Amino acid sequence: MRNLILIISIFITISLNAQESKMSSSETENFKNQIKKVSKETKTITSDFVQFKHLDFLTEDIETSGKMAFKAPNWVKWEYINPYEYSIIFKDDVLLINDGGTKSDVKMNSSKLFKKLNQLIINSVTGDMFDNEEFEISFYKTERFNKVILKSKDKKLSNFIETFELYFNKETGAVVEVKMIESSQDFTKIIFSNRVDNSQLNDAIFTN
Amino acid sequence: MRFLPISLFFLLFGSCALQTTKDLIAEDVSEEYVVNNYFSNPEKDYVYKAKIEVYGNKFGGILIIKKLSESKHRVVFTTEFGNKLFDFLYNRDKFIKNYVVDDLDKKVIINTLKNDFKLLISEKSKVEKQFDSKEFKIFQTSENKRNHFYFFHKKSNELEKIISSSKFKEKVAILFSNMEDQCAWDIAINHKNIKLKISLKKLKK
Repeated sequence: MRNLILIISIFITISLNAQESKMSSSETENFKNQIKKVSKETKTITSDFVQFKHLDFLTEDIETSGKMAFKAPNWVKWEYINPYEYSIIFKDDVLLINDGGTKSDVKMNSSKLFKKLNQLIINSVTGDMFDNEEFEISFYKTERFNKVILKSKDKKLSNFIETFELYFNKETGAVVEVKMIESSQDFTKIIFSNRVDNSQLNDAIFTN
Repeated sequence: MRFLPISLFFLLFGSCALQTTKDLIAEDVSEEYVVNNYFSNPEKDYVYKAKIEVYGNKFGGILIIKKLSESKHRVVFTTEFGNKLFDFLYNRDKFIKNYVVDDLDKKVIINTLKNDFKLLISEKSKVEKQFDSKEFKIFQTSENKRNHFYFFHKKSNELEKIISSSKFKEKVAILFSNMEDQCAWDIAINHKNIKLKISLKKLKK
């Protein structure tokens, strides 16, 4: 019985790996062009998201969920609704935070690392982050998704997040999943759903 | 001027009496150990939304506590996005700093956090003295140069607060409320000598 399970699990591992392969250089070019085009045409995005925080010592991942709104060129509102209310707005050089009614704003200039991290989060929403020289970037494809792995070259950032993994819908070029992996291999996974592009978004959404 | 010596006396000694034990009646020690059960189940993930206020600056995050074995607790603090800010391991009296983000990695900050969370999670401590009041049974323990007072409500038998003090002054108070199923759903950690407040609210499943 134990052998059977072992054989099955080896088989599953092989078949999962087989599903993912490296893009050829022409596929990579095509994919990059698709994402550039999509990100250029995307003026606004609204989407639901579910976030899973995985820590190896926990029995269950910590699940939180909410809504995200983006307005070009660089406004992002990240709003957690369940199981607590917390929103954070990235707006130019300021962070506007509403922590269950407690409002505050943080100037991003104070922390270079924080600024960089926020820029990455914004970029990962649109997916346009491949001209970044701070990362070693590799491109993969699976049956349903295109996948990009970004490994941080900056030591300070990689202490915080070592690798970003972005999953793109092959047809639309939309980011469907972001995984931020720490050097300890603990990770945060964000899955987007119900994405709507280019609807009218009032500026008032991006105020605290 | 005539009153100076007596005012000085009050200043010196009036303020020196420890507030915590004022109006408490000392009694014989009846329990060998005092037990804090709020983080004692290794099958549970204790996950709290945290709000921290330090010298007027407010920020939030997620506090995660897990009992790993009889002697070990892991205490991790992350941002709402899930990025780790610090990661501590307590193994009896040993303390291991697994990770601390650069901006927080300062001795005075780490020591404060280390002591606060040790006080919060410590499960079993030897009782040195015992007190009684109208509402509470109080157990005093000691650690290094600090005394800790555990207040158990007489009616509910629940631990409602821990006060940590030096010989003369209260330093930290931890208040537990909304207890259910051996969990405290709301916790407040208030410092008396520095402007630091941590409030914790347990996340609903």
